[in-house]
Formats: sequence, structure tokens, C-alpha cells
Amino acid sequence: MKTKILLLTAFTAFTALNAQLSFTTEDVPSQGNYQRCVVDMNGDFLDDIVSVSATNINILFQTESGFEVGNFTTTSANNNPSWTMAAGDFNGDGYNDLLYGGGNGATFMMSDGTGNGYVENSPGEYIFSQRTNFVDINGDGHLDAFVCHDVAPNVYYLNDGNNNLEYHQGGIGDYHSGGHYGSLWVDYNNDGLIDMHMSKCGGEEARYTDNLFRNNGDGTFTDVAAMANMDNKTQTWSTAWGDFDNDGFMDAMVGVSSFNTGGQKLMRNNGDGTFTDVTAGSGFDNFNHTSWIYAPADFNNDGYIDIYGSGSKIMLNNGDMTFTPVNVPFSTASIGDLNNDGFLDAFNFGEVHFNDGNDNNWLTINTIGTESNRNGIGARVEIYTEMGKQIRDVRSGEGFSEMSTLNTHFGIGTDTEIQQVIVRWPSGIIDTIENPEINSTLVIIEGEHQMGVQEVEADLFSIYPNPVKDILNVQGKSLETADFEIYHITGSKVMTGKINNGKINVKHLTKGIYVISVKKEGKTSTLKFIKQ
Amino acid sequence: MKNFYNWFLLIFFPIFISCSSDNEGIPEEEAEEVSPVVMDLDEVPYPKLSDYNFFKLPLADLEPVYGVLPYEPISALFSDYAHKKRFVWMPEGVAATFDGDAKSLNFPNGAALIKNFYYENVQPGNQTQLIETRLMIKIDGEWMFANYVWNEAQTEAFYDMEGSFVPVTWLQNGQTKEVNYRVPNGVECVTCHNSSEIPLPIGTKPQHLNKNYNYADGTKNQLQKWKEVGYLTEFPNQINTMVNYLDESQDLEKRVRSYLDINCAHCHSENGFCNYRVMRFGFENTHEHDNLGICKVPDEDISHWPEVGDPTHIIFPGDHEKSVIYYRLNTTEESYRMPLRGRTLIHEEGVGMITEWIDSLEDTCE
Repeated sequence: MKTKILLLTAFTAFTALNAQLSFTTEDVPSQGNYQRCVVDMNGDFLDDIVSVSATNINILFQTESGFEVGNFTTTSANNNPSWTMAAGDFNGDGYNDLLYGGGNGATFMMSDGTGNGYVENSPGEYIFSQRTNFVDINGDGHLDAFVCHDVAPNVYYLNDGNNNLEYHQGGIGDYHSGGHYGSLWVDYNNDGLIDMHMSKCGGEEARYTDNLFRNNGDGTFTDVAAMANMDNKTQTWSTAWGDFDNDGFMDAMVGVSSFNTGGQKLMRNNGDGTFTDVTAGSGFDNFNHTSWIYAPADFNNDGYIDIYGSGSKIMLNNGDMTFTPVNVPFSTASIGDLNNDGFLDAFNFGEVHFNDGNDNNWLTINTIGTESNRNGIGARVEIYTEMGKQIRDVRSGEGFSEMSTLNTHFGIGTDTEIQQVIVRWPSGIIDTIENPEINSTLVIIEGEHQMGVQEVEADLFSIYPNPVKDILNVQGKSLETADFEIYHITGSKVMTGKINNGKINVKHLTKGIYVISVKKEGKTSTLKFIKQ
Repeated sequence: MKNFYNWFLLIFFPIFISCSSDNEGIPEEEAEEVSPVVMDLDEVPYPKLSDYNFFKLPLADLEPVYGVLPYEPISALFSDYAHKKRFVWMPEGVAATFDGDAKSLNFPNGAALIKNFYYENVQPGNQTQLIETRLMIKIDGEWMFANYVWNEAQTEAFYDMEGSFVPVTWLQNGQTKEVNYRVPNGVECVTCHNSSEIPLPIGTKPQHLNKNYNYADGTKNQLQKWKEVGYLTEFPNQINTMVNYLDESQDLEKRVRSYLDINCAHCHSENGFCNYRVMRFGFENTHEHDNLGICKVPDEDISHWPEVGDPTHIIFPGDHEKSVIYYRLNTTEESYRMPLRGRTLIHEEGVGMITEWIDSLEDTCE
């Protein structure tokens, strides 16, 4: 009888969970040998699908009425993204660039600034690439590129300030024969400096012991894994980092590609620079699947980050550092919101697994850096709702092979109000937004919502909606005679005129980020907006 | 009278000297031939291959000088169809020792292993083209890697650890084949050539060497020859020896096991970089089907790749299309091909042999 009740409970729970999270699979016309990237490519902050071959970048641009196909010819890439792909706006022109991690080296496909072309830059150093990321390594406000090296110390390309690639090797993962598989950039100690966790695999124990590189703030990093209790000696290709218990500190779920030297580990961040192994009873203690890919995402929008990548399952976060597996139609996948409904979907080789959604509420945030790198990579985003605090770090390159959205996504469960959103930018600037609208996209431009600073300015005007598709409303006192100018973020002026009745038709503008400048009585004020 | 006697001596004494230096009938010790190879362990690696004086001129003929001994493993690594010519040299008075059938011979300090890679029937012109010569030299108990890349004129090979690509088009059995041949970067050497991350030669286990070779002065078992020239001390009568996988008269499974040993065991072994996967492809292990991955569920799911079907096991007996190993061998896609490095083309003959073998297996998985 007891068994029957247990079985019934289990079955009900299982069905209930599946009811809470399910996907509908659709074919999409993606074309290319490597289909492992979901990210906005045309500047409208809607996630697109990117597939590449040696001489072509195929992009399915997300629109309201489905995907619009674009193909962009490139020179024959010296290196294909056979191991990994990353995206980020390295050259700050408003369009994301691509980084192909190949077995002999790295190739960059830099956007040419028009949104219509890409220029290959293959610096030529020998690298057996593994996980690649875009991140501001030296904190100078320019996005850099990091490439794990399978058989030698890790390498990285610093942006010299003029968008040139400056090659460096050493200082962030120096094991002489490599074993560097999954680099994950995360501020694990909440000091505002981006650190790096290094998942390692293969060879001798010293080679497959993970590192935790604490950013010293001066361009150098120190491996503190042993001190932090994060020197895991498992065969790990990637680790899912997220604040699983919503206590304000990033935790880690260390995945395994083989059970040879141990199983998955759930490590809770103690908030003091150390971690505690809480695998026992977490659900990961009897999770018998292996994978290259372990990454975080809140799939059911309940405000607790889940983990995907392995065993055709999502490990649903129960909110108490325990996880329950749910069957889903994917393991390997790139994650993003592919139909702009606030629920995260999964793309893999010609198929989109659209999240069927539920009644939970959500918030999507687009971070636009000004002092910091344009994507805001490395920024810590916090939201406060009735259920408490949730955090994210803006990251380029999670899991192992795939590139997922650069948009920041939160589920807030049944909460109906967001008290505050705080963005702590790599530059040190802190923006605070009070009471943003739920179930929508919030655009946060660095520096425009600093507490205490705005009141003095008493902005000449405000604009809505943002993002905008056709009519941009401009509101403010006595603006009828005011002049306006609109510039593309790269600086070219695209429109001028008088505010008049406060309605500006921007429908003809190509997708991207723009600055509207309003001049009244000799004073000029500017705001940025996104054209979709 | 005295005067005449003096003159007599003056005239005839040289004749006596020259006669006596004629050696006829007088036994003399044979002059010992010395190897003219140049190997100053404090100075290597030399900038040019000719600096070692391993070969007579012209260098490209690869005709070895005294002391440089050709050798060949029974089954060879597939390197995008490149041919190999291998040689071994050791300093005077030292020799390698036997350390087990399935372990590399233990080489003395100063020993050099030389491996030349080349293509024949290279187009246009239908000539032979040497690409690279890889050296391993033992210094102070450790192996050093040194790679030499041949110039187009084929007169010399230069020390180069940077790695490069050499496009080659050649005729093979009437078919034109192309490759963008990869010359490895120095950091790549140890990824295959290692045991527990310590550099080690491949193909120098007794199980690889125990066969006859046609030397210039006659055919002889290689281990026997090495002993005779002073390059090997002792070796046992019984050695668990592999077969030439190209020899179709041999047992199919032994051919497959020999192929898997030389192409895969350096990573897929207890002390290799991929020891965290279940396969142990050393010939000494694969008489046990478990070690081959037969009926073993793979750690990695490769089914999302477009050309891969739905493999269920590493090797599924009776059906190569359900076997992960088949897809990994039958692809050029670098993120799931096997071997991971060392090849960029598909070895059609190897794939054919393994397909035939998998389909012939009669084990049943649980």
C-alpha cells in the first residue's frame, strides 16, 4: 500500500512537473555546419538564430511574424567554430561579433558596422580552442576575448582600445599541457570584479583539478580554488553557475563528462569566499547522465534557476537546493527567447523547442553599456520582488559549445510587482530602476538611472515606448518649439526636425540603438532608444 | 765495402718497410667503423636536419649513414595517407632494454628516433615530396621533441615548432586525393606522445617491433637485428605480438585490435589523456571485449550532429550504424572525429575494416 501511494505521488509529481514545463518542437530553416548560437545580431535585442559554415553566416532574424532569413558571405574562415562559439560587440559598433573556437586557432567574424556584413580576423596563433568568451578581462571598458586552450596555457586577446586584437598567453589557467575546457566568468565574491571558474578534464590529477581565478583588480588573477573548496577533481567540461537559492551569491553545479573520478557536485556559495558541497540529497547525487554542457536558465519562470544540458532533462530547481529532473526534447542547445513571450526557448540544429510557457510572470532586461562594454558583459543585475532577491551576471559563453542570449532574463513566479532593478556595471556605475513594468522588456542604459543624479538634471524630456517600432513619443514641458536630432549609436545623424506634437515617426530607421538629442532654450538633453 | 753496404741499405730499406706494411699474411685488427652522426646533447635541437648527419647526401634520399637503422612498426598510424620512413640511432656503447611486451623499449640517453613523412605521386609532376621529419631525442632521462619541415626544393629540412599547413595533391591507386596536411605545433607532440603526461615514443613496444624487416644486408627480425648491432640488450622468445592490419590473411579481429592500438591507444589507455573514458585500446587489453567498448553506453551524445544516426553503444555488435565508433571514424568534423588529431581525412580502408568487423560480432548486449 505504501509503495502504491509513493508511486502515485511520484507519478502525480512527475506529471505536475511536466505540466509546469513543456516544449513544442518546430523545424526552422537554419543552414550551416555549426548551429550553436542564439543571440541578437541586428541590434534590436530580439534573439536571432545564428548558424555558420566556413564561408557563410546564416541568421534567422526574429520578427513578430516569424523568422526572416539572412545569409552573409564571409571569406573562408581559417578556423570553424567546431568546438565553441561566442558572441559580443567587440568593436562597439552596435552589432555583435562572432568568435569561432577551432582546433587549430580562433577566428573572429567582426561586424562591419552596417549590420549587413562581417569581416574575418584570424590572428593566427596556434590554439586548440575550447570554451570561448567575450569579457572585459582588464576592466578598461573594452570587451576582450578569452579562449581556453586544451593542450597549453589559456590565451586571450585584449582589445587595445582601437579594436585591435592583442594576443596574450598565461596568467589565467597555466597548466602546461592544458586540460582547460570550460571557462565561466562570474563574480563569485560580489566584489564587483569579474572572476573566472575553470572546469578541467583529462590526464593526471593536477591537470583535471578545477581552478577558481579571483580577479585581483589589477589585470592579474589568483587561483583560489583550494582555499574556496572548489578544487574539484572530476572530469568536468562545464559548470552551471547561478544563485540557486537566491541568497545573493552565485552557486555552482559542477557537471561531469565522465564518472571516472567522481560525479556531479552542487556547491553552495557560503558568501565568504568558500563553498560547501551540498550534493547529497540535491538530486544531483543520483543524476546518472554525463555531458559537455551544464548551464543555468529559469525555464518555468518561477524565480528559481534551473539547469540544462544533460540527459535530455532539465533539472528543475525546487527552491531549496534540490532539483527534480523533467524530460525535455533537448540536451545540447542554445538558449534564448525566440518568440519574445518572456519564456526561454532552446535551439539545436534545425529545431527550436519553444517553451509552452505558463502563468508565471517575468522580466527581460537589455543592458546597454556606455562607460562599460556595450553589451554590459560582466554587469551584475539584481531584482527585488516579494519572493526576494535574484541575481544574474551578464555573460557571453556559458556551458561548453553554445552561445546563448545576452539578454538578462528573470522569472518572478506569481509576484506581480518588481520593487527595484539594480545594475552594477563593470565601470562601477550603479543604475537603479524603481517599479519597472512586469512581463516586458526593460532597457537599461548605463548611467541614466543613477540614484540622486537624475533629479538635478530634471530631464528635458522622456520617451516611450522603448524599444520602439514606429512612433516614438516624446514628452516634456514646452517642447513644441524644441529641435531634435537622432543619431545612430555609431555617430551618424539620421534624422532632424522639430518635436511639434511629440510624435516622431521612426519606422524607416533600421534596427539598432539610437540617441535622440533634444535642444530647448540652449540646453541639450539626450536619451537612447532601441529601434526594433 | 762499408760504403756500398750503406748505399744498399739506403736503397733497399724503404722497400722492406713498404713491403712489411703490405699486411699480407700479417694479421691486423679491423678498423672499427664509427657512426658519423653528430649529436651533442647540449646543442640540440640543431637548426637543420643535415646538422645531425643522419643521412648521406642528397638528404632527400634518406639513405642512412652507419649506425642509423631503419625500422617499422607492424601496424602503422594513419596520417592522412602520408608514407613514413623511420630510423633509430643510439650513441656508442649504450642500448635499449626490454621492459615488457606492451611497454615501449627503454631507450638510453642520446638515443634518437627519426620519422620522415612523405607523399608519392604528388601532382603536378608525379614526384615524391617530403613534408616533415619528426625527431625524439632522449636527454637526461627525458624525451625532447624536435620537428623539421622540408623546403620545396627538398634539399633541407629546418627546425620549426610553430606548426603549419601544407596542401598536397597526389595520385593514389589512380585516384586523385587532396589534403591540407597538418604539421603539428610543438605543444601538440605530448598530447599523443605521453604516458601520464611524460613524453614517450609510440610504436616502439616489442609488440609493435617483433617482425622481420628487409635490411640492406638481408631480412631479419627487428628485435634480433637491434640486439646484433648493440641497440637492444635482451628480449624474450615469447612476445604477444600484433598483426599488420593491412594483411587480409590475418584474423579480422586481430587486425582491428592492431589498428586500434596504433591509432588510438596512446590516448585511450590507463595513462593517456582520455583515460576517463572506458576504452582501453592497447593490444594487450583488447582481447577482452569490454575494453573495446563493445556493449558500452557512451558518455557523450553525438546524435545531434547531422551525419550521425542514432548510435546506442560505443560498439553495438552486429550493427555499425548503432556504433558511436563508426561515426567518429567516418567523419572529418573535428569536434567528434577520432583520432582527435593526426588526421583530417577519413581512412576509408580503416573504416571499411572496422565496419566489417562490427557487423560480424555476435556478442549480445544486456
